[in-house]
Amino acid sequence: MTSAIDSLREQARAWLRANVPSSGPTSEDGPALRSFALAWQKRQAGGGWAGISWPKEFGGRGASVLEQIVWFEEYARAGAPSPLDASFVGLNHAGPTLIACGTSEQKAFHLSKILNGEVLWCQGFSEPGAGSDLAAVKARGRVEGNHLVVDGQKIWTSYADIADYQELLVRTDPTAARSRALTWIICPMYLPGITVRPIKTMAGPFKYCEVFYEGVRIPLSNIVGGLHNGWPTAMSTLAFERGTASLALLLGLLRTVEQLLARCPDSRAAMRTRLAELRAEGASVRAMAYRFALDAAASVPDSSGSIVRLCFAEFGQRVTAAAVDFFGIDAPEVLADHGLGYAYLDAFSETIAGGTAEIQRNIIAERVLGLPKA
Amino acid sequence: MNYGMTDDQTSILGGLDQLIASQAIPAPTEPRFFYYGAELERAVAEAGYLDIAREEGFGALEAALITERLARLTCVIEVAASSIIAPALAIPPGMRPIALALGDAGKPARFLPQARVLLVDRGTNVLLIEVDPNNVEPIDTLMAYPYGRLRSLEHLRQRVIDDATTFRRRWRVALAAEAAGCMAAGLAQVVEHVKARQAFGRPLGAFQAIQHRLAMAAETVESARWLALRAAWSDSDADAAMAAGFAQSRIAQITYDLHQFCGAMGLTLEFPLHLWTYRLRSLAGELGGASMQARSAAIATWGSA
Repeated sequence: MTSAIDSLREQARAWLRANVPSSGPTSEDGPALRSFALAWQKRQAGGGWAGISWPKEFGGRGASVLEQIVWFEEYARAGAPSPLDASFVGLNHAGPTLIACGTSEQKAFHLSKILNGEVLWCQGFSEPGAGSDLAAVKARGRVEGNHLVVDGQKIWTSYADIADYQELLVRTDPTAARSRALTWIICPMYLPGITVRPIKTMAGPFKYCEVFYEGVRIPLSNIVGGLHNGWPTAMSTLAFERGTASLALLLGLLRTVEQLLARCPDSRAAMRTRLAELRAEGASVRAMAYRFALDAAASVPDSSGSIVRLCFAEFGQRVTAAAVDFFGIDAPEVLADHGLGYAYLDAFSETIAGGTAEIQRNIIAERVLGLPKA
Repeated sequence: MNYGMTDDQTSILGGLDQLIASQAIPAPTEPRFFYYGAELERAVAEAGYLDIAREEGFGALEAALITERLARLTCVIEVAASSIIAPALAIPPGMRPIALALGDAGKPARFLPQARVLLVDRGTNVLLIEVDPNNVEPIDTLMAYPYGRLRSLEHLRQRVIDDATTFRRRWRVALAAEAAGCMAAGLAQVVEHVKARQAFGRPLGAFQAIQHRLAMAAETVESARWLALRAAWSDSDADAAMAAGFAQSRIAQITYDLHQFCGAMGLTLEFPLHLWTYRLRSLAGELGGASMQARSAAIATWGSA
């Protein structure tokens, strides 16, 4: 480590110590969650820590990957709010996509609002018949004058009920091949014709929503990456999701393993063994994640990110399951509202959301190992 | 052990199926963490199914068959302890529902909000506590059973049962049978889903990766079921510990496997799979979890180290 890195670490640690909220949102649902996410984002922006990976010209910190790692290490150590909160889509999907594919007007209007905690974004990709098979999107958009008129339905949209904007993927050319028929457009969630229905998940909160569009008129100037060019635009977004954005979560899991090990008595030999194995697994996932992050620093994340994504997802499931077993199913820590039982159940989504484990394995088999397509 | 069902057993399960069909089983039409089938529980009790092990010629095996069958339903009822454990401890038939706790009477227990009896495993003996409903604090939890804990441990109506070994053995059989039923129901739900759900132009179930993983889930379900029935039939400590431990050791994997192929839909309360997932997770942690059962199976088989 260089002294510049050491110095960054000290700065980050000091700032986080002074600024991390002592408690989470008052509720996992609705307005309280929105206020909490925006306030935390504002505070980070005020301290110069918002958009740590974003280029300086767009208001970010422009940190190198190594510097980002240091920040995430300190972030996890400080027990800061989960980065997978309501700000996640704006900071890690929509913002980077606008930086890569947006017009100068779109960048000027949206990027600072995302960074400064003024708005929340959600993602409108999945549909009842298009999850892993994203190219099967059916929600339609037809050009009428200066607007794209959207009809259809999206589902599994996290935080649609509290978001201001949505990165929306719709079919605009019904005659073209599937991957050349889509358009990526910025959809303001307040437009007439949008109905949001929250869906209660098995982990408790209303994490997902169903969104219905009926004659929703979106200005054509909101299209990102060009009409009918939504597939490559969407893929650039998903590439971020398979990369480094989850480092703080991974480091948080590693801390959980350390904490459990520290509390595990000698008499629980099987649990100690299990935690020791998780510690080794965690170290390997961290090494892979760091190496991938550093290798990918000079280019767009590639398919080998799927290995990291998959290992991380399954590691998270194993750690949360071990935590439940450590305390016992009848422990207050587990049974409590949003306790470890919640974390365990929530981790089921890790191998489904953002590209299922099966899709990741296909990518690894075909693009990393070079095996023939099934 | 005869691996085919006797005429009597077939008749018992046939009658139970008819009774279930005649009942208004709570349908998961609205998102809830669990459905307690109070009316079904009464009907099952009135029809004598919970006392089957007390009948001449029948025993824990028939009770385990009933427990496994009822665990497949979307609603939850207290059947395992009443039908498998109570007869072996000579607890009178009317004293139910029954809640179970390990070690400490003050711990949260499944079914305690409904229970008339709480049985506490204290290692060397069992404490039978007659539950005063006013002394029960319900616990709001995701874990699919009605959980509660005693508000006070003072002035309890209680007596000691000396046979802790039988209690723990039957608890393990009960746990294994219930887990086997939950696994079977979850698998059936997922199989239907992957047959109907289309992706990339064909049913999800046509993808070999999915077929293989669900086939492995089927191995687990069948293994858990036969181990549970074997333990109920033999009533041996080693078999009971092995059956409970096997089921518990597979629960984490099978619940992930089953949810994986239901996508995001399977993570919502609008899809019933979570009802069995919650129950399985609760069962996975009972009696100290899989490692404790494995240790007990080893001791029962080879003696203490």
